[in-house]
Amino acid sequence: MTKVWLLATQTYRQHLRSGSFLILTFALPVLMIIAGAVPVISMINDDLTRLGYVDLTGQLPVPAGQLKDTDLGLSIYRTVEAAQAALTQNTIDGYLVVPADYFEQQPPVFYGRAEPGPLLQETLSQLLRRAMLAEQPAWIAERLADPSQLTYVARATGQKVAAGPGVLIYVIIPAVLAIIFALTVLTGAGQMGAAMVREKDQRAMEMVITSIAPWQLVSGKVLGITLLTVTQLAIWAVGAGIALGLLFLTTGGQPITLPWTALFWAVLLCGPGYLLYAVLAAGLGLIAGDQQQARQFAGLLGFVGLAPLYFMGALVNATNGPLALILTWFPLTAPVVALFRIAMSQVPAWQLILSFIILMVSLAAALWFVAVIFRSAILLYGQTLRPKQIWQILQQAGRGR
Amino acid sequence: MTDSALKVTNVSKTYASVQAVDNLSFTVEPGEIFGLLGPNGAGKTTSIRMALDIIKPDRGQITVLGGPMSEATKARIGYLPEERGLYNDMTLLDTLLFLGQLKGLSRRTAQARAKNYLQEVELWEARTRKIEALSRGMNQKAQFVAATMHEPDLIIIDEPFSGLDPVNTRLIKKLLNRMRDRGAAIIMSTHQMHQVEEMCERILLIDHGRSLIYGSLPEVRRRFATNAVEVDLQGDIGAVPGVEKITHQNGSYRMVLQADIRPETVLKNLVNQPEITVERFERVETSLDEIFVRMVGRDPALEEANQ
Repeated sequence: MTKVWLLATQTYRQHLRSGSFLILTFALPVLMIIAGAVPVISMINDDLTRLGYVDLTGQLPVPAGQLKDTDLGLSIYRTVEAAQAALTQNTIDGYLVVPADYFEQQPPVFYGRAEPGPLLQETLSQLLRRAMLAEQPAWIAERLADPSQLTYVARATGQKVAAGPGVLIYVIIPAVLAIIFALTVLTGAGQMGAAMVREKDQRAMEMVITSIAPWQLVSGKVLGITLLTVTQLAIWAVGAGIALGLLFLTTGGQPITLPWTALFWAVLLCGPGYLLYAVLAAGLGLIAGDQQQARQFAGLLGFVGLAPLYFMGALVNATNGPLALILTWFPLTAPVVALFRIAMSQVPAWQLILSFIILMVSLAAALWFVAVIFRSAILLYGQTLRPKQIWQILQQAGRGR
Repeated sequence: MTDSALKVTNVSKTYASVQAVDNLSFTVEPGEIFGLLGPNGAGKTTSIRMALDIIKPDRGQITVLGGPMSEATKARIGYLPEERGLYNDMTLLDTLLFLGQLKGLSRRTAQARAKNYLQEVELWEARTRKIEALSRGMNQKAQFVAATMHEPDLIIIDEPFSGLDPVNTRLIKKLLNRMRDRGAAIIMSTHQMHQVEEMCERILLIDHGRSLIYGSLPEVRRRFATNAVEVDLQGDIGAVPGVEKITHQNGSYRMVLQADIRPETVLKNLVNQPEITVERFERVETSLDEIFVRMVGRDPALEEANQ
């Protein structure tokens, strides 16, 4: 185990310093943080807190004072000139003019010391809605103000989540996990394949394998690349956390309920699922003759990893249909499809347990396959292991040689 | 009785339709430098890889350091392969520490050994350089250190002197001899026959996976000695009794003797000729290089002699 760990840490350090890893790892969170920061920056710019209101239609009265659910103060003016004078005297920061021909499609106009941010724009829209519905019963105004207030019920667990960002997160987290898994497989498989070809290219392998067994070498490489991927995910998670935090600030947060069942199955299925991809990628890297071929093989593997996304339409329409079941049990698509199904419907536990068992058996078979071809493949410097050769190696392994 | 460092018994290996190794047997003893010779594609590398358990033989038995290959045995083997390489983007010292620890050395011991060996091969100053920044000769010495710094009992080295200047060749020879004196068994595969003649006690020459010559160097030389002498003399030489053929080359006469004639008989015959003064009389020794070329070139007379 010490040697496996030694090899894993060496692989980890070697790849950690590579330029491509650093760019890929840090570019994404930076983009996420920028994306999260933009609305906040816009919000910060919203320093227009004292507003004026001019109704030239005479049919859309609003009460003066503090606007509902905000810290904004509202003053009413009869004429545009009066409002303009108030703005000039710095009594208000801006004012909204509802033109006389507003009902003939003329838009209202906001005059202010600065451009209103998205939050203020939404507040002004609400103000107009309430003004138009002033004579309607209060509930109509409430529903129109926020017609999409939902309560989400997870059929898998019966758990309810009230409206707000919590609903979004409850539904989205399993799906996001599935997408992250698919992306991780793409990058992890690429790195794994490249790592094995690099071993072949640099020709250090013949010295290394006189020190350790093939299974130790493959395990060490897989463990090292897995640690690398975990590091990458952790950095991405920090980036995503910061971005979500910023986003949370702009939505004026509500409590978030985490989907623990989905998270449990995510750990149980994505762990072996990732290892299966990593071992297969190691095998394909061994078979590949050069880096270009390794990338092609990794691309193929990534294509399979992303396959559930291509079938998403069919899966959404029939979350418990035959296709969904097959893809839940096919080891290379199991983690992604199972998580999507958990997000969208109630998945019987036995189906997920069976999926886990198939994954573990497949992982053991993949490890055996890679260990068997390892001896022959690792010494074929710059050469591709052909299917016929692979078949012969497997036959020999079957005969116990 | 001490176990052989390596014992190969009736080992065969076939790749598809190619017989890489054919019923090969040999032993290597502790404290000897053993020459494994053969032309390219003869089966040397396959034999070495089977000995190291990198590939499995189809038939036959191999014992290493007294038993089958195991994790513990691997730590007692040093290997410098023909296809060389180290991790280009690692520093020299990190590479040695990594490979040393893989061979079971503690980090502290690996550090101490790496320092000693690097100082000995004059690479200590280059320890923080990346492998890719080393010259070919430096790289060769670095690989040698990587293969031997754990002080193994069995060392297998393929072309240890390639890429080395005479000074560094001498340095590596000194280290190899020291390891041999320490009791390590060293298998040296090379095409540099003069190095084999200088360093090896015993040799195995293989071709097409089969053993052609196997034995101690003096014994092999005796077996392949031609019945000829080289003579420097003053005077005119005519027919010499017992001599089949005389050729004159670079001021010396090379005389091929008749089959049943001994050199001392010819010397007596020459000395008895008053018009001739013999200045040098030497039995012609067949060089290993010559034996190699003849054997691999399929000289029928020599192959027969070997049988």
